[in-house]
Amino acid sequence: MTAGGGLRRLGDRLARCWRRFERGHELLLVSRWRQGLRREARRRDDTLRTLLLLESLGVDNPVAYETLDAVPYLVADFHEWHRRMGRDEFGDAGMCC
Amino acid sequence: MPAIVMVLIVGVLFYLGYRYYSGYLARRVYALDDDRPTPAHTMRDGVDFIPTNRHVLFGHHFTSVAGAAPIVGPAIAVFWGWGPALIWVVAGTIFAAGVHDFGAIVVSVRHKAQSIGTLTREVVGTRARVLFLLIIFFLLTLVNAVFAVVIGNLFVANPEAVLPILLEIPLAIGIGQYIYRTRSAALVPSLVGVVVLYVTILLGQALPISLAGIATEDGLFTERNIWVVLLFVYTFVASRIPVWVLLQPRDYINSHQLFIALGVIGLGVLVGWDTIVAPVVNDQAPADSPSWFPLLFVTIACGAISGFHSLVSSGTTSKQLDKESDARYVGYFGAVGEGSLALGSILACTAGIVATTADWHAAYSDFATASDGATSNFVNGVGHFAANLGVPEATAVVFAAVVVISFAATTMDTGVRLQRYIVQEIAEIVRIRAVSRSLTLSGLIAVLIPLVLALLPGGGDAGYTFGVLWQLFGTTNQLTAGLALSVIAVWVTKNRRNPIAVLVPLVFLVVMTTWALIDNLITFVAESEWVLAPLDAIIFVLAVWLIVEAALALRRARGVARDDAGDPEPTELTER
Repeated sequence: MTAGGGLRRLGDRLARCWRRFERGHELLLVSRWRQGLRREARRRDDTLRTLLLLESLGVDNPVAYETLDAVPYLVADFHEWHRRMGRDEFGDAGMCC
Repeated sequence: MPAIVMVLIVGVLFYLGYRYYSGYLARRVYALDDDRPTPAHTMRDGVDFIPTNRHVLFGHHFTSVAGAAPIVGPAIAVFWGWGPALIWVVAGTIFAAGVHDFGAIVVSVRHKAQSIGTLTREVVGTRARVLFLLIIFFLLTLVNAVFAVVIGNLFVANPEAVLPILLEIPLAIGIGQYIYRTRSAALVPSLVGVVVLYVTILLGQALPISLAGIATEDGLFTERNIWVVLLFVYTFVASRIPVWVLLQPRDYINSHQLFIALGVIGLGVLVGWDTIVAPVVNDQAPADSPSWFPLLFVTIACGAISGFHSLVSSGTTSKQLDKESDARYVGYFGAVGEGSLALGSILACTAGIVATTADWHAAYSDFATASDGATSNFVNGVGHFAANLGVPEATAVVFAAVVVISFAATTMDTGVRLQRYIVQEIAEIVRIRAVSRSLTLSGLIAVLIPLVLALLPGGGDAGYTFGVLWQLFGTTNQLTAGLALSVIAVWVTKNRRNPIAVLVPLVFLVVMTTWALIDNLITFVAESEWVLAPLDAIIFVLAVWLIVEAALALRRARGVARDDAGDPEPTELTER
């Protein structure tokens, strides 16, 4: 075994240890924080979605014409949203569920 | 006795509790069933509801529940000697906290991962929801008051810690923004952040910040009180900043500090082989000292049993449980982790702070001295353990102070924010729209009430002893635990299982808390403490209300269980 080969193997082992440590750190400490960030982002999306869908909720939306453009961007996760808000079905038949 | 021997004995007892008692709870009381899908699977949304590996979830749960409270309570309670404090921490962890934390997760999981507040209404009754809100209101008020005093005392005792704590704010914001915007792996910037934080300790030692120059020796404008006012101004502003900007990154840095501090205590005790110099029972306490019975059981709340854990268990942990059997590991072992932190505090204040029994008696000469100096004693003790590892003792003490202040400050940040919501919710119920719809007004109320309470405890002949305020905080924490245990007991009874394992800690807790409240009320009236007496009386009324609600709910649950006695399997109704 050459000194260079031994050093390379040692380097590989250290790199593997570092990656495992990084993975453990990510799971144990960072993921909880990232989850908090996702929760906060979703809360803001929910607020925006509620404003866009005021008329569907029975509240007049004086800027509905202007906000209509933004609706398609939020439709993708609309079903997940109304279920999370406590309503298993939402809107007219065929609209969503 | 060497401190390491105490660690080993308690470690064995905790192991036996986890191995056998939590096994009994899992099989016979909570009847865990891995075939039943958890909300993390049935309601999976990638944000709140995510099936999570149990070791990872334990890490999340433990870092959420651990803070400064399991440190301060035992640091005060060793005034009565380390024996009573240790017995309550060990027995409380095994037979009360484990049952409570574990049970709160299970009941929440069986109810679509609803929070304990919602479960209180559903399982106990609508009135109990109002009771829950009121208990949480007083809990948060007292949390914010006691931690403001704790931080104020530590700033006065350790002016070297002020600069690191101030610099921690931009550091947390910087790390948060860097990781958020670059989306890179967080390990290197986190390690750099923690190292920079500890480098600022050296800076703090070179530039200690003291307000002694503008403060008076006694009266309202003492140095501690000026710090308290500044802290509440800070928390009022911080509570208006989005959580992801400051609160979450600070909490993230704290989670690193928690593991570092636990490592330092554990290794320091092992390497230093320090001896416990405090007496098992303090027989030199002044004759007019408060009695350990029943006040011990409210002085140590977190560390023996804490109602706050039910909020975490049902608020976030239950939404991430991969399978029901994981609740045993995450919930019960989480309580054991908190008990270990309390053990660390007992060791720091009995083996770490001084070398002789006579010196210990000087540090714990009377209850006022003991409670005022409790956190400093812990800080000095941990500093000593860190010095065992080769860190200069003066630097190590500032390190310990920075850890405790960081925990307490984050708790205050969260507490004021939550209190604002509670104030708004209560204002909505009593139809005070000006408050319920104004963030500023509700925020001011959330800050001003605890501020007044925090300014009142004095030293010597002025004001009252800090430990008394701490005990009131303990009573609200224990009532929250009592409410959660009531919910668990009702659910267990409805499902025709023996609730004795839940009822024993419930009855013990409620009796001791009520007893302590009456005990303190008599003292407050006799000493004309006209701020504390009404506060104590209100909490006493809440305790009685809790007893009535719990008794009624349990009676109804027994009726339901009897009616269903013919059914071979629990119905959906009994499960709910």
